[in-house]
Amino acid sequence: MKIAVCSKQIPDPANEVTYENGLLKRPDEQVLDDTDRYGIELALQLKEKYDAEVTIISMGPKGTLKGVQQALQMGADKALVISDESLSGANALITANVISEVAKLSEADLIIFGTESTDGYSGTVPQQVSRFLNLDCISYVKAVEINSEKVILTRQTLEGSEKVDMPNKCVISVTAGGVEPRYPNFKDIMAAKSKPIEEVNINDLNITAHQNLKFLEIEEVENSKNGQKIIDEGEAYNSIIEKLKELKII
Amino acid sequence: MKALIVSEIVDGKLSSGSLEIVSKAEELGLEYQLITIGSEEQPIIGSNSFKQTYLKRSPNSLQYNKIADYISNVITNEQINLVFGSSTYQCRDIIAYLSVDFNSSPVSSVIRFSLENDKVITLNSINGGQQLYKTEIDSSISFLLIRPKSFEPANFELNTDFTTIEVESGNCNVYEIHKEEKAGPQLEDSKVVVSAGRGMVDVANLELINKLSEKLNAAIGGTRAIVDAGWMPYSQQVGQTGKTVKPDVYIACGISGATQHQVGMKDSKFIIAINKDEEAPIFQIADLGIVGDTLTVLPKLIENI
Ligand SMILES: Cc1cc2nc3c(=O)[nH]c(=O)nc-3n(C[C@H](O)[C@H](O)[C@H](O)COP(=O)(O)OP(=O)(O)OC[C@H]3O[C@@H](n4cnc5c(N)ncnc54)[C@H](O)[C@@H]3O)c2cc1C
Ligand SMILES: Nc1ncnc2c1ncn2[C@@H]1O[C@H](COP(=O)(O)O)[C@@H](O)[C@H]1O
Repeated sequence: MKIAVCSKQIPDPANEVTYENGLLKRPDEQVLDDTDRYGIELALQLKEKYDAEVTIISMGPKGTLKGVQQALQMGADKALVISDESLSGANALITANVISEVAKLSEADLIIFGTESTDGYSGTVPQQVSRFLNLDCISYVKAVEINSEKVILTRQTLEGSEKVDMPNKCVISVTAGGVEPRYPNFKDIMAAKSKPIEEVNINDLNITAHQNLKFLEIEEVENSKNGQKIIDEGEAYNSIIEKLKELKII
Repeated sequence: MKALIVSEIVDGKLSSGSLEIVSKAEELGLEYQLITIGSEEQPIIGSNSFKQTYLKRSPNSLQYNKIADYISNVITNEQINLVFGSSTYQCRDIIAYLSVDFNSSPVSSVIRFSLENDKVITLNSINGGQQLYKTEIDSSISFLLIRPKSFEPANFELNTDFTTIEVESGNCNVYEIHKEEKAGPQLEDSKVVVSAGRGMVDVANLELINKLSEKLNAAIGGTRAIVDAGWMPYSQQVGQTGKTVKPDVYIACGISGATQHQVGMKDSKFIIAINKDEEAPIFQIADLGIVGDTLTVLPKLIENI
Protein backbone atom coordinates (compact mmCIF):
# COMPACT_ATOMS: atom_id res chain seq x y z
CA MET A 1 0.00 0.00 0.00
CA LYS A 2 1.12 3.55 -0.69
CA ILE A 3 0.37 6.50 1.53
CA ALA A 4 1.03 10.16 0.73
CA VAL A 5 1.17 12.74 3.49
CA CYS A 6 0.88 16.36 2.41
CA SER A 7 2.99 18.50 4.67
CA LYS A 8 3.94 22.08 4.53
CA GLN A 9 7.16 23.92 5.25
CA ILE A 10 6.34 27.09 7.20
CA PRO A 11 8.25 29.96 8.80
CA ASP A 12 9.23 29.02 12.35
CA PRO A 13 6.11 29.90 14.40
CA ALA A 14 8.37 31.11 17.21
CA ASN A 15 9.20 34.15 15.08
CA GLU A 16 6.93 37.07 14.30
CA VAL A 17 4.98 36.78 11.03
CA THR A 18 5.49 39.51 8.45
CA TYR A 19 3.81 40.17 5.15
CA GLU A 20 5.08 41.84 2.01
CA ASN A 21 2.53 42.88 -0.62
CA GLY A 22 0.06 40.53 0.95
CA LEU A 23 2.43 37.58 0.87
CA LEU A 24 3.76 35.89 3.97
CA LYS A 25 7.52 36.41 4.08
CA ARG A 26 9.18 33.00 3.95
CA PRO A 27 12.76 32.69 5.13
CA ASP A 28 15.15 30.32 3.41
CA GLU A 29 14.94 27.97 6.32
CA GLN A 30 11.40 26.82 6.97
CA VAL A 31 10.27 24.13 9.38
CA LEU A 32 7.74 21.32 9.26
CA ASP A 33 4.27 22.53 10.23
CA ASP A 34 3.48 20.93 13.59
CA THR A 35 -0.10 20.27 12.53
CA ASP A 36 1.22 17.97 9.80
CA ARG A 37 3.09 15.82 12.33
CA TYR A 38 -0.14 14.10 13.36
CA GLY A 39 -0.82 12.91 9.81
CA ILE A 40 2.78 11.76 9.40
CA GLU A 41 2.62 9.87 12.70
CA LEU A 42 -0.61 8.20 11.68
CA ALA A 43 0.90 7.19 8.34
CA LEU A 44 3.97 5.78 10.08
CA GLN A 45 1.82 3.71 12.42
CA LEU A 46 -0.03 2.33 9.41
CA LYS A 47 3.31 1.60 7.73
CA GLU A 48 4.46 -0.36 10.76
CA LYS A 49 1.22 -2.30 10.89
CA TYR A 50 0.44 -2.88 7.23
CA ASP A 51 3.78 -2.42 5.51
CA ALA A 52 3.05 0.73 3.55
CA GLU A 53 5.33 3.14 1.75
CA VAL A 54 5.04 6.73 2.99
CA THR A 55 5.71 9.65 0.64
CA ILE A 56 5.75 13.28 1.76
CA ILE A 57 4.27 15.78 -0.70
CA SER A 58 5.24 19.38 -0.14
CA MET A 59 4.64 22.47 -2.20
CA GLY A 60 6.33 25.80 -1.63
CA PRO A 61 9.74 27.46 -1.83
CA LYS A 62 12.32 24.73 -1.23
CA GLY A 63 14.86 26.75 0.71
CA THR A 64 17.06 24.55 2.83
CA LEU A 65 14.39 21.81 2.79
CA LYS A 66 14.65 21.62 6.57
CA GLY A 67 10.93 21.01 6.99
CA VAL A 68 10.92 18.17 4.48
CA GLN A 69 13.99 16.67 6.18
CA GLN A 70 12.12 16.80 9.49
CA ALA A 71 9.31 14.77 7.96
CA LEU A 72 11.80 12.21 6.61
CA GLN A 73 13.51 12.08 10.00
CA MET A 74 10.25 11.03 11.59
CA GLY A 75 10.32 8.00 9.29
CA ALA A 76 8.71 8.81 5.93
CA ASP A 77 10.40 6.99 3.03
CA LYS A 78 10.74 9.71 0.45
CA ALA A 79 9.49 13.12 -0.61
CA LEU A 80 8.05 14.77 -3.69
CA VAL A 81 8.54 18.50 -3.62
CA ILE A 82 7.22 21.11 -5.94
CA SER A 83 8.52 24.60 -5.98
CA ASP A 84 8.07 27.25 -8.61
CA GLU A 85 8.11 31.02 -8.68
CA SER A 86 4.65 31.01 -10.28
CA LEU A 87 3.22 29.32 -7.18
CA SER A 88 4.14 32.14 -4.84
CA GLY A 89 0.92 33.34 -3.21
CA ALA A 90 -1.02 30.35 -4.56
CA ASN A 91 -4.55 30.30 -3.17
CA ALA A 92 -6.08 27.18 -1.62
CA LEU A 93 -7.54 26.00 -4.91
CA ILE A 94 -4.28 26.29 -6.85
CA THR A 95 -2.50 24.52 -3.99
CA ALA A 96 -5.08 21.73 -4.07
CA ASN A 97 -4.82 21.47 -7.84
CA VAL A 98 -1.03 21.10 -7.68
CA ILE A 99 -1.16 18.64 -4.79
CA SER A 100 -3.74 16.45 -6.51
CA GLU A 101 -1.56 16.26 -9.61
CA VAL A 102 1.47 15.33 -7.51
CA ALA A 103 -0.62 12.82 -5.57
CA LYS A 104 -1.38 11.09 -8.86
CA LEU A 105 2.34 10.81 -9.53
CA SER A 106 2.84 9.31 -6.08
CA GLU A 107 0.27 6.59 -6.89
CA ALA A 108 -0.92 6.82 -3.30
CA ASP A 109 -4.03 4.94 -2.20
CA LEU A 110 -4.49 6.91 0.97
CA ILE A 111 -3.78 10.65 0.94
CA ILE A 112 -3.38 12.24 4.34
CA PHE A 113 -3.57 15.92 5.30
CA GLY A 114 -3.58 18.09 8.38
CA THR A 115 -6.87 19.84 9.07
CA GLU A 116 -5.53 23.39 8.91
CA SER A 117 -2.06 24.66 8.16
CA THR A 118 -0.51 26.97 10.74
CA ASP A 119 0.31 29.72 8.26
CA GLY A 120 -2.55 29.45 5.75
CA TYR A 121 -5.41 27.89 7.73
CA SER A 122 -7.89 27.85 4.91
CA GLY A 123 -8.81 24.33 5.98
CA THR A 124 -10.10 23.55 2.51
CA VAL A 125 -7.15 21.99 0.67
CA PRO A 126 -7.86 18.33 1.63
CA GLN A 127 -11.49 18.44 0.50
CA GLN A 128 -10.56 20.26 -2.68
CA VAL A 129 -7.93 17.64 -3.50
CA SER A 130 -10.50 14.89 -3.04
CA ARG A 131 -12.86 16.65 -5.42
CA PHE A 132 -10.12 17.04 -8.04
CA LEU A 133 -9.36 13.33 -7.74
CA ASN A 134 -12.98 12.26 -7.48
CA LEU A 135 -12.37 10.49 -4.17
CA ASP A 136 -14.25 10.57 -0.91
CA CYS A 137 -12.84 12.72 1.86
CA ILE A 138 -13.36 12.56 5.58
CA SER A 139 -12.07 15.38 7.77
CA TYR A 140 -11.09 15.56 11.46
CA VAL A 141 -9.85 11.98 11.63
CA LYS A 142 -8.25 10.80 14.88
CA ALA A 143 -7.58 7.10 14.23
CA VAL A 144 -7.36 4.76 11.23
CA GLU A 145 -7.48 1.01 10.71
CA ILE A 146 -7.32 -0.75 7.37
CA ASN A 147 -8.63 -4.05 6.06
CA SER A 148 -8.53 -5.45 2.54
CA GLU A 149 -11.16 -3.15 1.02
CA LYS A 150 -11.88 -0.50 3.56
CA VAL A 151 -10.35 2.04 5.84
CA ILE A 152 -12.10 2.42 9.16
CA LEU A 153 -11.80 5.84 10.73
CA THR A 154 -12.66 7.45 14.00
CA ARG A 155 -13.54 11.06 13.42
CA GLN A 156 -14.14 13.96 15.72
CA THR A 157 -17.53 15.61 15.35
CA LEU A 158 -18.88 18.78 16.85
CA GLU A 159 -20.80 16.73 19.38
CA GLY A 160 -18.46 13.83 20.04
CA SER A 161 -17.15 11.18 17.69
CA GLU A 162 -18.23 8.62 15.12
CA LYS A 163 -16.77 5.75 13.14
CA VAL A 164 -16.72 5.83 9.36
CA ASP A 165 -15.73 3.16 6.90
CA MET A 166 -14.93 3.99 3.30
CA PRO A 167 -13.08 2.61 0.25
CA ASN A 168 -9.36 2.47 0.91
CA LYS A 169 -8.51 4.78 -1.92
CA CYS A 170 -9.46 8.04 -0.24
CA VAL A 171 -8.47 11.35 1.31
CA ILE A 172 -8.47 12.13 5.02
CA SER A 173 -7.52 15.12 7.14
CA VAL A 174 -6.11 14.34 10.54
CA THR A 175 -6.63 16.41 13.67
CA ALA A 176 -4.48 16.68 16.77
CA GLY A 177 -5.04 14.57 19.83
CA GLY A 178 -5.49 11.15 18.21
CA VAL A 179 -1.85 10.13 17.97
CA GLU A 180 1.28 11.51 19.62
CA PRO A 181 3.89 12.47 17.00
CA ARG A 182 7.24 10.75 17.55
CA TYR A 183 10.59 12.47 18.04
CA PRO A 184 13.36 11.19 15.77
CA ASN A 185 16.51 9.88 17.44
CA PHE A 186 20.06 10.33 16.17
CA LYS A 187 19.85 7.24 13.97
CA ASP A 188 16.61 8.46 12.33
CA ILE A 189 18.18 11.84 11.69
CA MET A 190 21.21 10.28 9.99
CA ALA A 191 19.06 7.84 8.00
CA ALA A 192 16.94 10.68 6.63
CA LYS A 193 19.94 12.19 4.87
CA SER A 194 20.03 9.45 2.26
CA LYS A 195 16.29 9.33 1.60
CA PRO A 196 15.24 10.44 -1.88
CA ILE A 197 13.76 13.90 -2.39
CA GLU A 198 12.40 14.22 -5.88
CA GLU A 199 11.52 17.53 -7.48
CA VAL A 200 8.42 17.70 -9.64
CA ASN A 201 8.33 20.16 -12.50
CA ILE A 202 5.22 22.31 -12.61
CA ASN A 203 5.19 22.12 -16.39
CA ASP A 204 4.50 18.40 -16.17
CA LEU A 205 1.28 19.03 -14.26
CA ASN A 206 -2.16 19.91 -15.50
CA ILE A 207 -3.05 23.05 -13.56
CA THR A 208 -6.41 24.64 -14.32
CA ALA A 209 -6.98 26.69 -11.17
CA HIS A 210 -6.11 30.35 -11.32
CA GLN A 211 -5.59 33.24 -8.93
CA ASN A 212 -9.06 34.66 -8.35
CA LEU A 213 -8.26 36.35 -5.06
CA LYS A 214 -6.73 39.79 -5.36
CA PHE A 215 -4.89 41.16 -2.35
CA LEU A 216 -5.94 44.72 -1.54
CA GLU A 217 -4.39 45.63 1.78
CA ILE A 218 -3.66 44.64 5.34
CA GLU A 219 -5.30 46.64 8.11
CA GLU A 220 -3.86 46.74 11.59
CA VAL A 221 -6.33 46.03 14.37
CA GLU A 222 -6.02 48.10 17.48
CA ASN A 223 -5.63 45.32 19.96
CA SER A 224 -3.79 46.54 22.98
CA LYS A 225 -6.43 47.35 25.52
CA ASN A 226 -4.47 49.07 28.20
CA GLY A 227 -6.23 46.84 30.63
CA GLN A 228 -5.52 46.90 34.32
CA LYS A 229 -2.83 44.50 35.55
CA ILE A 230 -2.58 43.50 39.20
CA ILE A 231 0.17 41.43 40.74
CA ASP A 232 -1.40 39.03 43.19
CA GLU A 233 -0.20 39.38 46.71
CA GLY A 234 -3.03 37.42 48.18
CA GLU A 235 -5.92 39.83 47.64
CA ALA A 236 -6.21 40.07 43.86
CA TYR A 237 -9.34 37.93 43.87
CA ASN A 238 -11.08 40.96 45.37
CA SER A 239 -10.57 42.99 42.21
CA ILE A 240 -12.21 40.21 40.21
CA ILE A 241 -15.20 40.17 42.55
CA GLU A 242 -15.55 43.94 42.38
CA LYS A 243 -15.41 43.84 38.61
CA LEU A 244 -18.00 41.05 38.42
CA LYS A 245 -20.29 43.09 40.64
CA GLU A 246 -19.79 46.18 38.54
CA LEU A 247 -20.65 44.15 35.44
CA LYS A 248 -23.73 42.81 37.28
CA ILE A 249 -22.64 39.22 36.89
CA ILE A 250 -22.97 38.70 40.64
CA MET B 1 -26.63 39.48 -6.92
CA LYS B 2 -28.15 36.10 -6.23
CA ALA B 3 -26.94 34.36 -3.12
CA LEU B 4 -27.03 30.89 -1.67
CA ILE B 5 -26.42 30.23 2.02
CA VAL B 6 -25.21 26.70 2.70
CA SER B 7 -26.50 26.06 6.20
CA GLU B 8 -26.54 23.54 8.98
CA ILE B 9 -28.53 22.43 11.97
CA VAL B 10 -27.53 22.71 15.60
CA ASP B 11 -29.77 21.27 18.31
CA GLY B 12 -32.58 20.68 15.84
CA LYS B 13 -32.66 24.29 14.63
CA LEU B 14 -31.03 26.37 11.95
CA SER B 15 -27.57 27.20 13.34
CA SER B 16 -26.94 30.69 14.62
CA GLY B 17 -23.97 30.92 12.26
CA SER B 18 -26.37 30.43 9.35
CA LEU B 19 -28.76 33.02 10.78
CA GLU B 20 -25.90 35.51 10.98
CA ILE B 21 -25.39 35.20 7.23
CA VAL B 22 -29.14 35.52 6.69
CA SER B 23 -29.18 38.82 8.58
CA LYS B 24 -26.29 40.12 6.51
CA ALA B 25 -28.03 39.07 3.28
CA GLU B 26 -31.17 40.91 4.43
CA GLU B 27 -29.18 44.01 5.28
CA LEU B 28 -27.59 44.05 1.84
CA GLY B 29 -30.92 43.42 0.15
CA LEU B 30 -29.66 40.31 -1.60
CA GLU B 31 -31.95 37.86 -3.33
CA TYR B 32 -31.05 34.73 -1.36
CA GLN B 33 -32.09 31.20 -0.53
CA LEU B 34 -30.87 28.55 1.89
CA ILE B 35 -29.87 24.95 1.45
CA THR B 36 -29.46 23.16 4.74
CA ILE B 37 -27.69 19.85 5.17
CA GLY B 38 -28.49 17.52 8.04
CA SER B 39 -29.79 14.16 9.13
CA GLU B 40 -32.39 15.29 11.68
CA GLU B 41 -35.97 14.09 11.35
CA GLN B 42 -37.88 17.31 11.89
CA PRO B 43 -35.56 20.24 12.05
CA ILE B 44 -36.87 23.74 12.64
CA ILE B 45 -35.16 25.50 9.76
CA GLY B 46 -37.97 27.05 7.71
CA SER B 47 -39.10 30.66 7.68
CA ASN B 48 -41.64 32.82 5.90
CA SER B 49 -38.79 35.16 5.02
CA PHE B 50 -36.72 32.86 2.83
CA LYS B 51 -36.74 29.81 0.61
CA GLN B 52 -35.32 26.80 2.37
CA THR B 53 -34.36 23.42 0.90
CA TYR B 54 -33.44 20.62 3.28
CA LEU B 55 -30.92 18.13 1.92
CA LYS B 56 -31.50 15.23 4.20
CA ARG B 57 -28.82 12.60 4.47
CA SER B 58 -29.01 9.37 6.37
CA PRO B 59 -27.23 9.63 9.74
CA ASN B 60 -25.38 6.50 8.66
CA SER B 61 -23.90 7.87 5.49
CA LEU B 62 -21.59 10.83 4.88
CA GLN B 63 -22.00 11.61 1.20
CA TYR B 64 -20.71 15.14 0.88
CA ASN B 65 -19.77 14.51 -2.75
CA LYS B 66 -23.38 13.85 -3.68
CA ILE B 67 -24.57 16.77 -1.62
CA ALA B 68 -22.07 19.01 -3.42
CA ASP B 69 -23.26 17.64 -6.78
CA TYR B 70 -26.81 18.65 -5.95
CA ILE B 71 -25.81 22.14 -4.81
CA SER B 72 -23.60 22.60 -7.88
CA ASN B 73 -26.64 22.06 -10.05
CA VAL B 74 -28.63 24.62 -8.12
CA ILE B 75 -25.84 27.18 -8.46
CA THR B 76 -25.70 26.64 -12.22
CA ASN B 77 -29.43 26.43 -12.86
CA GLU B 78 -30.38 29.40 -10.74
CA GLN B 79 -27.38 31.48 -11.78
CA ILE B 80 -26.18 32.08 -8.28
CA ASN B 81 -23.11 34.25 -7.91
CA LEU B 82 -22.52 34.42 -4.17
CA VAL B 83 -22.21 31.29 -2.04
CA PHE B 84 -21.86 31.50 1.73
CA GLY B 85 -21.28 29.02 4.51
CA SER B 86 -20.17 29.21 8.15
CA SER B 87 -16.56 28.17 8.71
CA THR B 88 -17.64 25.05 10.55
CA TYR B 89 -16.90 21.41 9.77
CA GLN B 90 -19.71 20.58 7.41
CA CYS B 91 -20.19 23.87 5.58
CA ARG B 92 -16.46 24.23 5.08
CA ASP B 93 -16.21 20.77 3.54
CA ILE B 94 -19.05 21.45 1.15
CA ILE B 95 -17.89 24.92 0.10
CA ALA B 96 -14.45 23.39 -0.57
CA TYR B 97 -15.98 20.83 -2.97
CA LEU B 98 -18.05 23.48 -4.72
CA SER B 99 -15.04 25.75 -5.17
CA VAL B 100 -13.44 23.06 -7.34
CA ASP B 101 -16.57 22.70 -9.49
CA PHE B 102 -16.61 26.41 -10.25
CA ASN B 103 -12.86 26.98 -10.31
CA SER B 104 -13.09 29.75 -7.73
CA SER B 105 -10.99 29.58 -4.57
CA PRO B 106 -12.99 30.40 -1.43
CA VAL B 107 -12.00 32.96 1.17
CA SER B 108 -11.87 31.37 4.63
CA SER B 109 -12.46 32.94 8.05
CA VAL B 110 -14.22 36.00 6.67
CA ILE B 111 -15.36 38.35 9.43
CA ARG B 112 -16.68 41.17 7.24
CA PHE B 113 -17.51 41.62 3.59
CA SER B 114 -19.02 44.18 1.28
CA LEU B 115 -20.28 44.43 -2.26
CA GLU B 116 -18.87 47.32 -4.20
CA ASN B 117 -20.00 47.75 -7.81
CA ASP B 118 -20.71 44.05 -8.09
CA LYS B 119 -17.31 43.23 -6.65
CA VAL B 120 -17.02 41.16 -3.51
CA ILE B 121 -14.55 42.51 -0.97
CA THR B 122 -13.74 40.39 2.06
CA LEU B 123 -11.87 40.92 5.30
CA ASN B 124 -10.47 37.95 7.14
CA SER B 125 -8.41 38.06 10.28
CA ILE B 126 -4.84 36.88 10.17
CA ASN B 127 -2.24 36.68 12.83
CA GLY B 128 -4.71 35.84 15.55
CA GLY B 129 -6.84 38.84 14.73
CA GLN B 130 -4.03 41.37 15.01
CA GLN B 131 -4.41 42.19 11.34
CA LEU B 132 -7.17 42.11 8.75
CA TYR B 133 -6.46 40.89 5.25
CA LYS B 134 -8.53 42.57 2.56
CA THR B 135 -9.25 40.64 -0.63
CA GLU B 136 -11.20 41.26 -3.78
CA ILE B 137 -12.73 38.15 -5.29
CA ASP B 138 -12.35 38.16 -9.04
CA SER B 139 -14.76 35.39 -10.09
CA SER B 140 -18.22 35.18 -11.52
CA ILE B 141 -19.14 32.96 -8.57
CA SER B 142 -17.67 33.85 -5.16
CA PHE B 143 -17.35 31.47 -2.21
CA LEU B 144 -17.15 32.89 1.31
CA LEU B 145 -16.68 31.04 4.58
CA ILE B 146 -17.90 33.25 7.41
CA ARG B 147 -16.51 32.93 10.92
CA PRO B 148 -19.32 32.43 13.43
CA LYS B 149 -20.06 35.43 15.69
CA SER B 150 -19.13 37.90 12.97
CA PHE B 151 -22.67 39.34 12.69
CA GLU B 152 -25.82 39.44 14.79
CA PRO B 153 -28.03 36.48 13.87
CA ALA B 154 -31.38 37.28 12.19
CA ASN B 155 -34.20 37.21 14.67
CA PHE B 156 -36.67 35.33 12.46
CA GLU B 157 -39.40 33.07 13.66
CA LEU B 158 -38.46 29.60 12.44
CA ASN B 159 -40.90 26.91 11.38
CA THR B 160 -41.01 23.58 9.59
CA ASP B 161 -41.98 25.00 6.26
CA PHE B 162 -39.42 23.87 3.69
CA THR B 163 -38.79 21.45 0.85
CA THR B 164 -37.01 18.22 1.74
CA ILE B 165 -34.80 16.32 -0.66
CA GLU B 166 -33.43 12.99 0.47
CA VAL B 167 -29.84 12.50 -0.66
CA GLU B 168 -28.95 8.97 -1.66
CA SER B 169 -26.29 7.21 0.38
CA GLY B 170 -22.65 7.14 -0.68
CA ASN B 171 -19.48 5.20 0.01
CA CYS B 172 -18.83 6.41 3.54
CA ASN B 173 -20.79 4.50 6.17
CA VAL B 174 -21.18 6.02 9.60
CA TYR B 175 -21.74 4.03 12.77
CA GLU B 176 -21.01 4.11 16.51
CA ILE B 177 -22.16 7.71 16.67
CA HIS B 178 -21.22 9.02 20.05
CA LYS B 179 -22.68 12.26 21.36
CA GLU B 180 -21.36 13.84 24.49
CA GLU B 181 -23.92 14.85 27.02
CA LYS B 182 -24.57 18.54 27.10
CA ALA B 183 -24.84 19.82 30.61
CA GLY B 184 -25.05 23.36 31.94
CA PRO B 185 -24.86 26.58 29.95
CA GLN B 186 -23.55 26.20 26.40
CA LEU B 187 -20.43 27.96 25.23
CA GLU B 188 -21.90 29.79 22.26
CA ASP B 189 -24.71 31.52 24.06
CA SER B 190 -23.58 31.89 27.64
CA LYS B 191 -23.05 35.37 29.10
CA VAL B 192 -20.07 34.23 31.12
CA VAL B 193 -17.37 31.77 30.05
CA VAL B 194 -14.73 30.35 32.36
CA SER B 195 -11.87 28.85 30.39
CA ALA B 196 -8.95 26.70 31.43
CA GLY B 197 -5.48 26.23 30.00
CA ARG B 198 -2.42 24.25 30.82
CA GLY B 199 -1.80 26.67 33.68
CA MET B 200 -4.41 24.75 35.67
CA VAL B 201 -1.45 22.36 36.08
CA ASP B 202 -3.43 19.15 36.51
CA VAL B 203 -6.74 17.80 35.26
CA ALA B 204 -7.90 17.37 38.87
CA ASN B 205 -7.73 21.15 39.33
CA LEU B 206 -10.48 21.61 36.77
CA GLU B 207 -12.73 21.12 39.78
CA LEU B 208 -11.95 24.77 40.54
CA ILE B 209 -13.17 25.72 37.06
CA ASN B 210 -16.36 23.71 37.61
CA LYS B 211 -17.02 25.37 40.94
CA LEU B 212 -16.40 28.88 39.66
CA SER B 213 -18.60 28.31 36.63
CA GLU B 214 -21.40 27.00 38.85
CA LYS B 215 -21.26 30.14 40.97
CA LEU B 216 -21.34 32.37 37.90
CA ASN B 217 -23.74 30.24 35.88
CA ALA B 218 -21.01 30.16 33.25
CA ALA B 219 -20.15 27.83 30.40
CA ILE B 220 -16.78 26.10 30.49
CA GLY B 221 -14.18 26.35 27.73
CA GLY B 222 -10.60 25.29 27.27
CA THR B 223 -7.52 25.61 25.10
CA ARG B 224 -6.53 23.11 22.48
CA ALA B 225 -3.57 22.14 24.65
CA ILE B 226 -5.86 20.75 27.34
CA VAL B 227 -8.36 19.30 24.88
CA ASP B 228 -5.52 17.40 23.19
CA ALA B 229 -4.35 16.25 26.60
CA GLY B 230 -7.80 14.77 27.16
CA TRP B 231 -8.78 17.07 30.04
CA MET B 232 -11.88 18.30 28.24
CA PRO B 233 -13.93 17.21 25.22
CA TYR B 234 -13.32 18.93 21.90
CA SER B 235 -16.78 20.48 21.99
CA GLN B 236 -15.42 22.83 24.66
CA GLN B 237 -12.38 24.01 22.72
CA VAL B 238 -12.25 27.75 22.13
CA GLY B 239 -10.21 29.14 19.27
CA GLN B 240 -9.35 28.94 15.63
CA THR B 241 -10.07 25.24 15.35
CA GLY B 242 -12.74 25.27 18.02
CA LYS B 243 -15.59 27.57 18.96
CA THR B 244 -15.82 31.32 18.75
CA VAL B 245 -17.34 32.93 21.81
CA LYS B 246 -18.35 36.48 22.57
CA PRO B 247 -19.64 36.51 26.14
CA ASP B 248 -20.01 39.53 28.41
CA VAL B 249 -17.21 38.16 30.58
CA TYR B 250 -14.47 35.68 29.65
CA ILE B 251 -12.27 34.44 32.46
CA ALA B 252 -9.03 32.86 31.16
CA CYS B 253 -7.35 30.73 33.81
CA GLY B 254 -3.78 29.62 33.08
CA ILE B 255 -4.04 30.38 29.38
CA SER B 256 -1.01 31.80 27.56
CA GLY B 257 -3.11 33.54 24.90
CA ALA B 258 -1.70 32.04 21.71
CA THR B 259 -3.01 33.77 18.59
CA GLN B 260 -5.04 30.66 17.72
CA HIS B 261 -6.81 30.86 21.08
CA GLN B 262 -7.31 34.63 20.86
CA VAL B 263 -9.21 34.41 17.57
CA GLY B 264 -11.91 32.49 19.36
CA MET B 265 -12.43 34.84 22.31
CA LYS B 266 -10.84 38.24 21.85
CA ASP B 267 -14.15 39.92 21.02
CA SER B 268 -15.55 39.05 24.42
CA LYS B 269 -16.83 42.23 26.06
CA PHE B 270 -14.72 41.94 29.21
CA ILE B 271 -11.70 39.67 29.54
CA ILE B 272 -10.23 38.65 32.87
CA ALA B 273 -6.97 36.68 32.81
CA ILE B 274 -5.13 34.88 35.56
CA ASN B 275 -1.60 33.84 34.63
CA LYS B 276 1.60 33.63 36.64
CA ASP B 277 3.71 34.89 33.75
CA GLU B 278 3.56 38.67 33.59
CA GLU B 279 4.61 38.54 29.93
CA ALA B 280 1.89 36.12 28.80
CA PRO B 281 0.26 37.41 25.58
CA ILE B 282 -3.21 37.00 27.10
CA PHE B 283 -2.55 40.16 29.15
CA GLN B 284 -2.38 42.22 25.95
CA ILE B 285 -6.06 41.64 25.37
CA ALA B 286 -7.21 41.37 28.99
CA ASP B 287 -9.26 44.15 30.55
CA LEU B 288 -8.32 42.89 33.98
CA GLY B 289 -5.14 40.86 34.34
CA ILE B 290 -4.12 39.08 37.51
CA VAL B 291 -0.47 38.05 37.63
CA GLY B 292 -0.73 35.12 39.97
CA ASP B 293 -1.11 31.42 40.51
CA THR B 294 -4.44 29.98 39.39
CA LEU B 295 -4.27 27.48 42.20
CA THR B 296 -4.17 30.18 44.88
CA VAL B 297 -6.34 32.87 43.25
CA LEU B 298 -9.23 30.63 42.18
CA PRO B 299 -9.99 28.98 45.57
CA LYS B 300 -10.19 32.40 47.24
CA LEU B 301 -12.30 33.79 44.44
CA ILE B 302 -14.75 30.89 44.66
CA GLU B 303 -14.96 31.11 48.42
CA ASN B 304 -15.66 34.84 48.43
CA ILE B 305 -18.24 35.16 45.67
C1 LIG C 1 -3.36 25.40 13.29
C2 LIG C 1 -3.48 25.58 14.77
C3 LIG C 1 -4.74 25.69 15.32
C4 LIG C 1 -4.89 25.88 16.71
N1 LIG C 1 -6.15 26.02 17.22
C5 LIG C 1 -6.29 26.29 18.53
C6 LIG C 1 -7.58 26.51 19.10
O1 LIG C 1 -8.61 26.44 18.42
N2 LIG C 1 -7.66 26.83 20.42
C7 LIG C 1 -6.55 26.91 21.22
O2 LIG C 1 -6.70 27.19 22.42
N3 LIG C 1 -5.34 26.65 20.73
C8 LIG C 1 -5.18 26.35 19.41
N4 LIG C 1 -3.93 26.09 18.93
C9 LIG C 1 -2.82 25.92 19.91
C10 LIG C 1 -2.21 27.21 20.40
O3 LIG C 1 -1.19 27.60 19.51
C11 LIG C 1 -1.58 27.02 21.80
O4 LIG C 1 -0.65 25.97 21.75
C12 LIG C 1 -2.60 26.73 22.91
O5 LIG C 1 -3.67 27.64 22.87
C13 LIG C 1 -1.90 26.82 24.24
O6 LIG C 1 -2.76 26.43 25.27
P1 LIG C 1 -2.51 26.87 26.79
O7 LIG C 1 -2.62 28.34 26.89
O8 LIG C 1 -3.42 26.04 27.62
O9 LIG C 1 -1.06 26.34 27.10
P2 LIG C 1 0.32 27.08 27.22
O10 LIG C 1 0.61 27.87 26.01
O11 LIG C 1 1.29 26.05 27.64
O12 LIG C 1 0.11 28.13 28.39
C14 LIG C 1 -0.05 27.82 29.72
C15 LIG C 1 -0.01 29.14 30.49
O13 LIG C 1 -0.29 28.88 31.84
C16 LIG C 1 0.56 29.67 32.66
N5 LIG C 1 0.69 28.96 33.93
C17 LIG C 1 1.35 27.81 34.18
N6 LIG C 1 1.17 27.44 35.46
C18 LIG C 1 0.39 28.37 36.03
C19 LIG C 1 -0.15 28.55 37.31
N7 LIG C 1 0.08 27.67 38.31
N8 LIG C 1 -0.90 29.64 37.56
C20 LIG C 1 -1.14 30.55 36.56
N9 LIG C 1 -0.68 30.42 35.32
C21 LIG C 1 0.08 29.34 35.05
C22 LIG C 1 1.82 29.82 31.88
O14 LIG C 1 2.48 31.01 32.26
C23 LIG C 1 1.33 29.85 30.44
O15 LIG C 1 1.13 31.17 30.00
C24 LIG C 1 -3.75 25.90 17.56
C25 LIG C 1 -2.48 25.77 17.00
C26 LIG C 1 -2.34 25.61 15.64
C27 LIG C 1 -0.95 25.49 15.07
N1 LIG D 1 1.89 23.94 0.26
C1 LIG D 1 1.47 22.78 0.77
N2 LIG D 1 2.22 21.65 0.62
C2 LIG D 1 1.80 20.48 1.14
N3 LIG D 1 0.66 20.33 1.82
C3 LIG D 1 -0.11 21.41 2.00
C4 LIG D 1 0.24 22.68 1.48
N4 LIG D 1 -0.74 23.56 1.81
C5 LIG D 1 -1.66 22.87 2.50
N5 LIG D 1 -1.29 21.57 2.62
C6 LIG D 1 -2.03 20.49 3.30
O1 LIG D 1 -3.38 20.89 3.49
C7 LIG D 1 -3.71 20.95 4.88
C8 LIG D 1 -4.67 22.08 5.14
O2 LIG D 1 -4.05 23.29 4.79
P1 LIG D 1 -4.84 24.64 4.64
O3 LIG D 1 -5.94 24.40 3.67
O4 LIG D 1 -3.81 25.61 4.18
O5 LIG D 1 -5.37 24.99 5.99
C9 LIG D 1 -2.36 21.08 5.58
O6 LIG D 1 -2.42 20.58 6.90
C10 LIG D 1 -1.47 20.21 4.69
O7 LIG D 1 -1.66 18.83 4.96
